[in-house]
Amino acid sequence: MTLRRFLHSPEALAGAAIVSALAVMALVAPLLFPADPLSIAGRPLTPPFQDWSLPLGTDRLGRDVLAGLFHGARTSLAVGLAAASAAIVAGSLVGTAAGFASGLTDDVLMRITDAFQTVPGFLLALAFVSVAGPSLATVVGAIALGAWTGPARIARAEILSIRERDFVAGARIVGMHPVEIALREVLPNALPPVLALSSVIVAGAILIEASLSFLGLGDPNRVTWGGMIAEGRAVLRSAPFLSIIPGIALVLSVLGVYLVSEGVVEASATRRSLS
Amino acid sequence: MPLLPLSRRSLLSGSAALLASTALPAHLRAQETPKKGGRLIVAADSEPRNLNPAMVASNGVFFVASKVVEPLAEASFDGADGLVPRLATSWEGSDDGLSVTFRLREGVTWHDGKPFTSADVAFSALNVWKPLQNLGRVVFKDLESVDTPDEHTAVFRFSKPTPFQLIRNALPPLTSVLPKHVYEQGEIADNPANTAPIGTGPFRFAEHKPGEYYRLERNASYWDKDLPLLDEIVYRVLPDRAAAAGALEAEEIHLAAFSAVPLADLARIAEVPGLKVVSRGYEDLTYQLVVEINHRRKELADRKVRQAIAHAIDRKFVVDTIFLGYATASTGPVPLNSKTFYTDEVPLYAFDPARADALLEEAGYPRGGDGKRFSLKLLPAPYFNETRQFGDYLRQALAVVGIDAEIVNNDAAAHQKAVYTDHAFDLAVAPPVFRVDPAISTTILVQSGLPDGVPFSNQGGYRNEAIDALIAKASETIDPEARIALYREFQKLVAEDLPLINVAEWGFVSVAHESVGNIANNPRWVVSNWADTWLGA
Repeated sequence: MTLRRFLHSPEALAGAAIVSALAVMALVAPLLFPADPLSIAGRPLTPPFQDWSLPLGTDRLGRDVLAGLFHGARTSLAVGLAAASAAIVAGSLVGTAAGFASGLTDDVLMRITDAFQTVPGFLLALAFVSVAGPSLATVVGAIALGAWTGPARIARAEILSIRERDFVAGARIVGMHPVEIALREVLPNALPPVLALSSVIVAGAILIEASLSFLGLGDPNRVTWGGMIAEGRAVLRSAPFLSIIPGIALVLSVLGVYLVSEGVVEASATRRSLS
Repeated sequence: MPLLPLSRRSLLSGSAALLASTALPAHLRAQETPKKGGRLIVAADSEPRNLNPAMVASNGVFFVASKVVEPLAEASFDGADGLVPRLATSWEGSDDGLSVTFRLREGVTWHDGKPFTSADVAFSALNVWKPLQNLGRVVFKDLESVDTPDEHTAVFRFSKPTPFQLIRNALPPLTSVLPKHVYEQGEIADNPANTAPIGTGPFRFAEHKPGEYYRLERNASYWDKDLPLLDEIVYRVLPDRAAAAGALEAEEIHLAAFSAVPLADLARIAEVPGLKVVSRGYEDLTYQLVVEINHRRKELADRKVRQAIAHAIDRKFVVDTIFLGYATASTGPVPLNSKTFYTDEVPLYAFDPARADALLEEAGYPRGGDGKRFSLKLLPAPYFNETRQFGDYLRQALAVVGIDAEIVNNDAAAHQKAVYTDHAFDLAVAPPVFRVDPAISTTILVQSGLPDGVPFSNQGGYRNEAIDALIAKASETIDPEARIALYREFQKLVAEDLPLINVAEWGFVSVAHESVGNIANNPRWVVSNWADTWLGA
């Protein structure tokens, strides 16, 4: 039912097409472009559609823009997924602990969440990366640091209602350990709405990663779209394609992820109202 | 930006004439006579807080302060020994190298009206240049006293023979004279005149609006009665490099120096009517692109590995692609444009990856299963686009010969700490400056025994007794010819042993409106006093 609704929405379909294209690009990048995408492949600043071995041209050092685009998709997607997973795992654990324990623990955990929510996520990431040094792992950590609060709040709200249900009382009477109840009985039931948030986090993570790379705080040993845009900025007036091509890729991916998440929310919302 | 509402109008009136002037043939324009008056607006990409050029001898400070505070002599394309008099009218070294006598200009007054005398020179030399100045600490290390037999004579006395040639070469960048009566009270480093300098120069310091502009005004009582020609100089703070090009095209500024317009944009901007691209005026401020090496790393302590790295770098690619032709490939630690000291009789390292591979095999570092011999940390200095791009290039060039370099990016402060204090690098890309004489800021790059934390010095743990002895001997050799011969030997030893790898050397590029006259008429024009610069109508 849900799937059918999803498939009937053209926006969701477009989003799914973009996201699958992105995933395919990321998967085939090492097969199509086995060389290091940062290696020098041809004459510097070749414009697009001139040399068919380098269809999208080359940048200021002669690096293949198309190879960069494919390998950049890998980085973007990897960072997006890793940051979203980290944020959701951390957020739902904190939310579960707060909702299930209640009392002082709840207060403390929720005030910490508030504190993180008051600081803009991008600022937090910027500060974290400039202290810890730019590498893929710190970038993922930095993005997750600003993104876990959303899942934490939603998980807590869900758990507050679930923990009053009969099956939880049943588990308690059977003598299950509270931690076991929280993790095995309550959390799985609270997860679906939290997961619905994941695509929004992925889209946000892709953007934050690109912004960090644009500011020179990305991993310099990997191709990233933000880094490509920043590279192209110096020659914006004479070779605008260097910034425009990765810019378009970035816009499309974020748009795609948003459309998919819209579609999922829409489809599941209807299902809920029906049931 | 509510900056100087007049600027737009005066520039517009100027620009109409400017359009007319571009219609004239070039030889007619060149004959235009200098004209008095006008406000020159230039782009400033950094905003130094301390504007005391006697303490901080750096180009960022000189760019503004050299118009206010003058040195004893300025560099010149055609003067004797490459100098023209400023506050000193003549200089003479004794045969034993133990003293230098300066005759000082008479009738010079400070901007606050007090007369300029030899006491000011003695005070500046002993209390500022020698103990406080980044470069003066090296050159004036043996200065013992300054005698002032009369108000217009200063005799520098050295405890050890000090080459007169070195002192002469150091006059333009190192000898900005400060007013004793302003600085003698309290700490020199805390003096308010450091942010609002008082000098004898053709322009007085008027104001600084942080984040917006510096403004200098004509000094009506300048010692050269006919100068300066301009009424005002305004430095508009434009930290974004793309903004400088836009501001020039929109006729909001007249001049952008220090390659404020990115090299990649020059070909386009050279076509814009009314703008000229000038690469002269930086001859005495040659920047060098250098790979610094941490000799504490076992692999890099091996000369063969260093030679392999030198062979792996395609200097022509670096010059043509990264510097777009606005640079020269280097052969050693002294740049080609230093006619006095340069020699090409040094070992050269042609681009030859096969040779590099062979050297690495010989050194005992075979390729592993993944084609890699060993891994290194590479720290490109973040100061220039070109140093960062060269870092990207070097990583690829090393990958070809099986060395896996991981780039570590830092901001300026963290980079200095990592390389010059913590030594947390294997290779670093640095842009040191060659300032006319190797003893000013070049020998320090390879000399051993320096304390940790001195920026732009040998912090790679390199120690070569032959080179150290040569540097020590040259620093006490009085005879110019013998001294030059020693520095040629120095270049040979450095190129042979490669304590660091010199890749390319470059000067900056200025972009100016056609209406700006007398630009680039000395080898450090950008950081000279601009007294004869003028603005056509």
